[in-house]
Amino acid sequence: MGLFSDYALRPANVRFETQQTGEIVELALRQHLVVMVPSVLLIGVLVILPLLAWPMLIGTNALPFTIPANYIIVLTFFWYVVAMGFALASFMRWFFNIYLVSNKRIVDIDFVHMLYKMFSATYLSRIEDISYAQSGFLMTMLDYGNVYIQTAGTEKNFEFLNIPHPQSVVDTITRVAALQGAAFNKKHA
Amino acid sequence: MNTDIPILTAIPLLLKFMLVFGMAIYALFAFIMVRQEQLMARVFSGANEPVLRLLALIHLAGVVTAILLAITML
Repeated sequence: MGLFSDYALRPANVRFETQQTGEIVELALRQHLVVMVPSVLLIGVLVILPLLAWPMLIGTNALPFTIPANYIIVLTFFWYVVAMGFALASFMRWFFNIYLVSNKRIVDIDFVHMLYKMFSATYLSRIEDISYAQSGFLMTMLDYGNVYIQTAGTEKNFEFLNIPHPQSVVDTITRVAALQGAAFNKKHA
Repeated sequence: MNTDIPILTAIPLLLKFMLVFGMAIYALFAFIMVRQEQLMARVFSGANEPVLRLLALIHLAGVVTAILLAITML
């Protein structure tokens, strides 16, 4: 699965925690890349800001004191390190927010922020209902949306949010669940 | 109006301490980022985690460099 990949059918080299023997990842998903646009814009602002701010502060004599050159160097360097940190944290939040469909289970790995992660999984046989929704101009144009997976009993329901090709995802889960059900019936007939 | 008051020379130590302290707090965040990347790579592995690990380490090295620059240059 590529570094910027948000949809991978039967991805090679994908492994996850608690993966069982004989469990194959059929589909690996991340949120559509468009969800990164606000972060990318903000990073652009962070990169440009010192280039505009320092000349304005120094050149226009806006401050009642002078800022020594060594302060400008250190503060600018630290600013760009922080900008890199913000970019990296945003990317990691997207990169490790993963939805997986295996031949046995569906898995939802949530990486909300640096100090919070959540891993949830349910067996395909526990799925009762699956649906998807696409609303708005962007979702329709870029073909991404939300998939809702209802599970049996009191088990947690799953929501795959802002994922690419939701209809195809629903088809894949339905197909894999049907295959798994057929295999189970054959084994226990 | 620029009266050219050397305010930074009047309180250099306090300013330097505040900057280094702020950077040290941020270094903690950078370290958590490296650690979290390692933990998440155990949860999910898709062959590209070494790139992220390298970037997280470069970021941490950048923070340490900024602290050293602040201590030596300011």
